[in-house]
Amino acid sequence: MTATLEVRNVSKTFESDNGDRIQALAPANLGVKQGEFLSIIGPSGCGKSTLFNIIGGMIPPDSGEVIVNGVSVSGPHKDIGMVFQEESTFPWRTVLDNVAFSLEVAGMEKKERLEKARHFVELVGLTGFEHHFPHQLSGGMRQRTAIARTLASEPRILLMDEPFGALDEQTRLLLGDKLLKICDALKQTTMLITHNITEAVQLSDRVAVMSYRPGTIMRTIDIELPRPRDSELISTDKFAGYVGRIWEDLRMEADRGMKAAGEA
Amino acid sequence: MAQTSMNSGLRRQVLTLQVLTPAVVVILWELIARSGILYEGVVPTILEVASAFWNELSSPELYHHFGVTLMELFGGFTIATLVGVVTGIALGSRPFVSSVADPFLSSLATTPKIIFLPVVMLIFGIGPESKVALGALGGFFPIALSTMSGTLNVRPVLVNVGKALNLTRWQMLIKIYLPSLVGPIIRGMRLGLGVTIIAILLGEIKLSNAGLGFLAIEYYNTFHIASMYSILIIIFLTALSINAVMSYISQRFDRA
Repeated sequence: MTATLEVRNVSKTFESDNGDRIQALAPANLGVKQGEFLSIIGPSGCGKSTLFNIIGGMIPPDSGEVIVNGVSVSGPHKDIGMVFQEESTFPWRTVLDNVAFSLEVAGMEKKERLEKARHFVELVGLTGFEHHFPHQLSGGMRQRTAIARTLASEPRILLMDEPFGALDEQTRLLLGDKLLKICDALKQTTMLITHNITEAVQLSDRVAVMSYRPGTIMRTIDIELPRPRDSELISTDKFAGYVGRIWEDLRMEADRGMKAAGEA
Repeated sequence: MAQTSMNSGLRRQVLTLQVLTPAVVVILWELIARSGILYEGVVPTILEVASAFWNELSSPELYHHFGVTLMELFGGFTIATLVGVVTGIALGSRPFVSSVADPFLSSLATTPKIIFLPVVMLIFGIGPESKVALGALGGFFPIALSTMSGTLNVRPVLVNVGKALNLTRWQMLIKIYLPSLVGPIIRGMRLGLGVTIIAILLGEIKLSNAGLGFLAIEYYNTFHIASMYSILIIIFLTALSINAVMSYISQRFDRA
């Protein structure tokens, strides 16, 4: 259950509070191959989250289209599963009921959906916590619950917006390992939005570097590190080489972003 | 949680004072009653109040009026809750409409509902229906306002989770909005219940033919002051227990 994703000439302009028109995305083009893990990395304000919301169908693009397996889609789509940046578990549901949510709204019978949800709880390593409520869990465990909830709907494309953004670096690396295992198991087409270079290199088959506003894909870099991987990889020269190369591309853009933020 | 952090000696002092306060009030009452400072009968002795209280408890008439007040409360509060929650969600899910409605709702909410008594009398008459209407009107505003602000503050990311899964409007309401609103609704209900009780009793006292408020004012008019006090005590105890039930419910369900 996997698919290709293509973003063709997608652009978006917003009107700011004082009436200025801000071009968040210049026409952006990008393709994700079947089963590929692609990260999009860019400085703050480069329109990464705008791209995420357009692909997920939360907001319409001004121009261009999002194509899943060769078919143009608009609006939220069942083939695309989204994992949001902010805390998004339902505080009134247990871990198991959170994970079963998408199955429940799809009308699956209780016994069947709980069984299926259990499988995904196990996949993200939360077995034993099925009946805990989110407030009883750490931030990392809550984000894993959210990921399991999205995976349980078996989307053909997994779309994640800085899912580990609010977590500390060590937790982030460990969750990265978990995510690597999950991806190896599911061979899921995945697009990850991030501002963390280490995370992008650790997880991806390919990293797309975005420019500062108006955001566009500047280049993509193939990460030719062996799989299965884990976080021990970050001590290797090859890993450092990729991080260095991406930073080289990113540095000027991040600098532009910082200057613009300073002026504002 | 101030009480849990108190040491046990301090806690015992607090408890002692809390027990002593009503005892002091009772003693003062008795002293005033016996001193003859006030007109005879205005402050009956404790014994007189106690015997009137006992008489009330053993009279079937009390239970009739008690039942009327409870039914009015139940009816008024149920209507206030249902209409308040629906209105709150309807307004809160449209930020533009809610910003238009907010000043009207807020100013009406602080208006004493008793000024509507003549209007509800005209429409519903002197019986329990007009008290139900008055109570519903009173409880409606806090519940609607609390639900509205709760709806405006439902976390957008949770709504987005629902959108991403293509939830129907109904599923969105049942699975995302209502569970998010449990806290605000219960908080609104707690405030609303107090207002409903006040509105209903005021209505009964002003113009009615049944209910505890009516009974109290009847005893006042016929100068059965000890009986009047015993009705006031019954009203007080009833409000106290309703409030206790309500705070139990809110602690049980409001995790915010």
